[in-house]
Amino acid sequence: MTTAAGLASERAGGWRRFRRPFLAALVLGALVWWSAALCRVSLDELGPALVKGIEVGGFFLPPDWRALPELLQPALVTMLLAAVATPLGLALSIGFGLAGARNLAPEWLRMPARWLIGIERALPELITLLLLVAALGIGPFPGVMALAIGSIGMLGKLIADAIEEIDPRVLESVESVGATRWQTIRHAVLPEIMPGLLANTIFRFEVNVRSSVLLGAAGAGGIGFELNKAMSMLEYERAMTAILVTLALVFGAERLSDFLRRRVLDGGKLK
Amino acid sequence: MLYVENLSKSLPNGRVLLDRVSFSVKPGEFVGILGASGAGKSLTLRCVLGLTRPDSGRARLVTSNGTEFDLTGASGRRLREARRRMGVIFQGFHLVKRLRVLDNVMIGRLGEISPWRSWFYGFTDREAAGAFEALRCVKMESCAERVTGTLSGGEMQRVAIARAMFQQPELFLADEPIASLDPSNSLAIMKLLRPLAAATPVVGVFHQPEMTARFCTRVIAIKHGRIIYDGAPELSHAKLEEIYGNELMEVLRPAPVAPAPAPSPEPAHSAGLELAKLA
Repeated sequence: MTTAAGLASERAGGWRRFRRPFLAALVLGALVWWSAALCRVSLDELGPALVKGIEVGGFFLPPDWRALPELLQPALVTMLLAAVATPLGLALSIGFGLAGARNLAPEWLRMPARWLIGIERALPELITLLLLVAALGIGPFPGVMALAIGSIGMLGKLIADAIEEIDPRVLESVESVGATRWQTIRHAVLPEIMPGLLANTIFRFEVNVRSSVLLGAAGAGGIGFELNKAMSMLEYERAMTAILVTLALVFGAERLSDFLRRRVLDGGKLK
Repeated sequence: MLYVENLSKSLPNGRVLLDRVSFSVKPGEFVGILGASGAGKSLTLRCVLGLTRPDSGRARLVTSNGTEFDLTGASGRRLREARRRMGVIFQGFHLVKRLRVLDNVMIGRLGEISPWRSWFYGFTDREAAGAFEALRCVKMESCAERVTGTLSGGEMQRVAIARAMFQQPELFLADEPIASLDPSNSLAIMKLLRPLAAATPVVGVFHQPEMTARFCTRVIAIKHGRIIYDGAPELSHAKLEEIYGNELMEVLRPAPVAPAPAPSPEPAHSAGLELAKLA
């Protein structure tokens, strides 16, 4: 009821109005406290840890600039891993996207394709990498494959969804001239999804650069591997340089991706 | 020549959509199919195109060199071969919006070229020249390089006609080609279709009896899935009443779709001006 009298009578409820949020906060608080106790999180440790942290932080300074030249090549490797993995991932994603679109693929193909995309999205790249390392050994190749497969979860789903949004009458009108299914894909489906596809791929490149640092630390090589090595050998100044190089790399990739995406989307807009 | 014989289709719940629809189309004819909404006009066209399969009955296309295509029974390669010979003029907004106008026209020939070539090479310069020629016929050659989605409704409709012309079919099928256009654009489109029909028969679904009376050589009226009239394009008021029932007033005085032009004492005259500008 939205009359003034109705509102007034609802407001007259006193503390009852707060009962529900209060109970919710109580339950949530209890859950958080319980979880903290289980994981042995204790605020008592925060004070000493802070002091220790500042002390250790001092070890990282100043960064060891002499290490910079030998860190540039690993940084490049990290970038290249992403650069190789993104088109590879795009190719895989287009395959999964076409197979997962209701208006193109028959149901027996679409269901497994959608399932695989969903499973892939649930699987962290690190786990993919560990599985691939077990099969292929340590090195950049399993890293590239992990990133490429990791792209399917996002790009594959976006592509399949974009295809399903195409007006079915457009596809029908192309098929009505006697075109095959593949010709329809080439001359109607791909042109319609292209600007969004490019923008998402460029964004995925940015994500891949970031993931590539992490996967590097887990054995795929590159700047992440160097950082991990320096840390475990207690060469903190060198580690600091690696961190700064990583920051520059990721920030650079982000700016590049932003710039390219804006270009692509502006160009694809229907003025 | 198109032969449609006893097409019938009903929904699983028993509702009859088409009831023994039969007609044939000879060279030189411009056939307008009329009927209230939901009468089965577009469904008839879809059956002829093989987009919808009828429960019974069939449609055949006999080409000028004597080849016969079974349109309702074919599938796969055979159906594609048949479709290649029928130029469908869809409503303009069924074009691929992000392609250039010229690319959309060239899609008309996709059925003629191998999928491998269309994937990896695209179209040849000769095909581009032919498509440009088709655009010239509908007075749209100046828009050849534009992105199709940026055109107006009337312009897109012209491109759709150019696409069907470029296909060089044995028969044109037009599915409500003027349904979303304002009166002056509708008139322009009908004036394009009329000479086409002289060389290649045109079968079109229309909503405007005054347009079919003026341009078609023959009118077929469908009501509740059954043909109730097949003959001369001029229809009496009583006949129109029978065809459209309580939709009649809507059909005779269509609401203006385009931004309404200033009311002029002689509407036909302003349409003529519009046409003069197009020419």
